[in-house]
Amino acid sequence: MANSLRAEVVQLYKTLLFLGREYPKGADYFRDRLRAAFAKNKDVSDPEKIKELISRGEFVVKELEALYYLRKYRALKKRYY
Amino acid sequence: MAARVIARCVRSLNHRTVCFNRVNTVATLTAAPLIRGRAFSQLTHGHKSPLEQFSISSFQVFQWRQYGDLPPLTLDSIHERVLYVLKLYDKISPEKLQATSHFMKDLGLDSLDQVEIIMAMEDEFGFEIPDADAEKLMTPQEIVQYIADKKDVYELA
Repeated sequence: MANSLRAEVVQLYKTLLFLGREYPKGADYFRDRLRAAFAKNKDVSDPEKIKELISRGEFVVKELEALYYLRKYRALKKRYY
Repeated sequence: MAARVIARCVRSLNHRTVCFNRVNTVATLTAAPLIRGRAFSQLTHGHKSPLEQFSISSFQVFQWRQYGDLPPLTLDSIHERVLYVLKLYDKISPEKLQATSHFMKDLGLDSLDQVEIIMAMEDEFGFEIPDADAEKLMTPQEIVQYIADKKDVYELA
């Protein structure tokens, strides 16, 4: 149980780290914040709580994707007008 | 012979250079690229004139293709690249780094750092390391061994 959750957390961390490379304020800024966010919750041991936090992380992933999508859309739009 | 003269004049007309004598070398040289690969000129010449041979040899291009391939991996080169990537990682001090030093025990990193290191290795060597294997890689030596296994690199006997 704990192992499967651990794998999920690691996967989430990798995904976020990968997405953070394109972050507007810089990859290092994003990495520090990401690490702080993960380190803050490192003592959480309740599976329900961990699942909740993972779903929050997945929400952040979606937000980041939306941000990049919007940025790309705006860049395209700016080139037309 | 007359046919050759006429053909050459027609060809040189393309270049706006009218030539009526067949030894005008400037006109024939400008027309030389046209001679190549034309059935018409082959027919009129019948045999290979020295001029044609000259034009072909002067336009010869030596092809030397270099395909985009990396130099073959060896254990030493893998070792070097792994240590290079680790030295660039900001939380590792290059002086303390040894091939056998444990990331968590000796270098004081946490599991998140270890995930980042594995991601850096994936970028460096261009293949993905599954999470199950990534958890076990705790020293530079293990990473070198793992990459060598995956890339079929063995020590020469």
